[in-house]
Amino acid sequence: MQQQSQQAPPPHSTSTPPPAPPSSTGGSAAEAPPKQVALAMDKLGEAERIIADIRIGADRVLEALFVAASEPRHGTKPLQLFLKEDACMRRYLQDLRSLGKELEESGVRSRKDFWGLHMPLVCPDGTMVGYAWKRQLAGQAGASAVDRTRLALKAFTDQKRRFFPHLDCGLETNESASKKRCGSVESTLDPKEESSILKMLPDVLKSVEKEVPNLKILTFERLDWLKRASTLNSSTNENSVDHSYPGSNKLRLGSLGTVATEKVAVIEMLVPSTFRVVISLHPAGSTDPDAVAFFAPEESGSYVHARGFSVHHVFRHITDYAATALQYFLGNQVESSLYCLLHWICSYQTLFSRPCSKCSRLLAADKQSAFLLPPVLRPYWQFSLSKILSTISTKDHTSDITPAYHLGCFSEEL
Amino acid sequence: MTVKWILHWTPTPGSVVNSQILSEISQCVESFVNAVKDGRWKATLTFYRPNLRDQSIPSEFPRDFLGISLLEQPNKYYFIIRGNKIILEADSTILTIMEKLQSYKSKVALNFEGVQYKMGDFQMKVVKVVPNQAESLRGILIEIEYLPLSSIEKAKPIMEEFLEVWREVMSKKSLPGHFTQTEPHFAEYKLPDNYTSQHTAIQYAAALAQLIQSAQLRG
Repeated sequence: MQQQSQQAPPPHSTSTPPPAPPSSTGGSAAEAPPKQVALAMDKLGEAERIIADIRIGADRVLEALFVAASEPRHGTKPLQLFLKEDACMRRYLQDLRSLGKELEESGVRSRKDFWGLHMPLVCPDGTMVGYAWKRQLAGQAGASAVDRTRLALKAFTDQKRRFFPHLDCGLETNESASKKRCGSVESTLDPKEESSILKMLPDVLKSVEKEVPNLKILTFERLDWLKRASTLNSSTNENSVDHSYPGSNKLRLGSLGTVATEKVAVIEMLVPSTFRVVISLHPAGSTDPDAVAFFAPEESGSYVHARGFSVHHVFRHITDYAATALQYFLGNQVESSLYCLLHWICSYQTLFSRPCSKCSRLLAADKQSAFLLPPVLRPYWQFSLSKILSTISTKDHTSDITPAYHLGCFSEEL
Repeated sequence: MTVKWILHWTPTPGSVVNSQILSEISQCVESFVNAVKDGRWKATLTFYRPNLRDQSIPSEFPRDFLGISLLEQPNKYYFIIRGNKIILEADSTILTIMEKLQSYKSKVALNFEGVQYKMGDFQMKVVKVVPNQAESLRGILIEIEYLPLSSIEKAKPIMEEFLEVWREVMSKKSLPGHFTQTEPHFAEYKLPDNYTSQHTAIQYAAALAQLIQSAQLRG
């Protein structure tokens, strides 16, 4: 003890310069993100090693103190040990400090979400931080990679469309082209032009809404629909179309602003107090439906999506049947499958009021379950583009002459 | 909430309501449309009468002031004044307030005890009406529910047809009586088309009033 007190305080700073990669300060902003990420990962690895060294050093210091305290006759050996360890520790701490500064300057360690993600808080235990940061950086790298890929793909398709228009893309609707067309669509057109117009999603939805009163159509991006599905019950006022999801791009029919048609992946159709239908489009923004499901208007939850099933038997049966109808429309009405599908769905408005065309009753027992069900079948082959257009133009919209059948009545009819 | 219709059993003149009829009706339901027993249900109805020292001015106070509690709304209590077509949905703590105020006393309390059956998208309850302290059967009600719909207007054709099917089944048993529905007059209570527990409370009150009336007529 007395030997230690005689010693002068060990030197504060060491002579070892902090390890500094040449491009650390300021230059990193000019590099591409992958390189930044790689550098940051390296530095974090280094920080980990330094932290490990510090821990070992601390152990040694304690050991030296312990030895010095328990066996004073060892002379100055423990003191030398202690001094050496102390010097090492201070050096390591200095290294760590400067490394941290570098990381901060390169934007990794700042709290300001340089790459848009929250950095984890610094733990008292140094090792955890390095691991958590590495994970965070990997996640950021992944996210930025997805973004970059998406941008690259968009740039590629734009250029392809511009320079090689004869190559048929067919998948994504060009945003500017659809906007141009939307602006010039009139209500009455001859069928040939109309069928070509119906290739565009907003036009399809707009015309269906116009032709079938009392119907509400909303469109969503795929993830936005999942959010909405769980809160369907809370938005009980079905007249309000305004939803407070910041950042969701919903195609509001009637106000064709700058909405992302190419992102629309889910269509919701609501006939108030009767049913709600969820249709999924694939690819997003196209007019190709790939799944459809019926639900009661009050149903809400994460199972309410285009591949989900209602808890009610009547809607389960209709969803099953709708899958067949969908395949028919996709196979036989290729150009206007979505349009025909939507109109066919609208024929179910009379689900709870129109009796079966065969037995003239509203309820009939299902053969398998013996449950009483309304007529859940409406023949879909009657819905072709030309037929729909002709029926719309020749009569008023309120009468609907689509026959309806019970499950049991139908097979006999066919 | 899903739409419910409540009907009460009207015995043919001269016959009584007893537990045998109740078990016959229950059997009917159980064999009807692949029904599955789904649980028990309970509700209470209390007639209130004003607590007055001076009994000579009772006319200012409502004569048909009821309170109803339902199993599906454990935190609510419903007050109905049938004469003025008023319904109020209150928190169940109102009972403590009434207890403290002592302005109204409970005159008669009745329990509705029901067994629920599920049959596909429909649900039925067979409910017996018993006084609070006794076990004697005062009446039988059935409740029909169609789960997919909440709009009373939209559910009407479906419910009517279900009732038809039910009546057909019942007629085969040739029991002395039939089920009748009292028109609940929801619009007069200023209730919306969307079905709620308030509608249920009104229907039970109306059904009970009919039961009392027919019981008084009988004897």
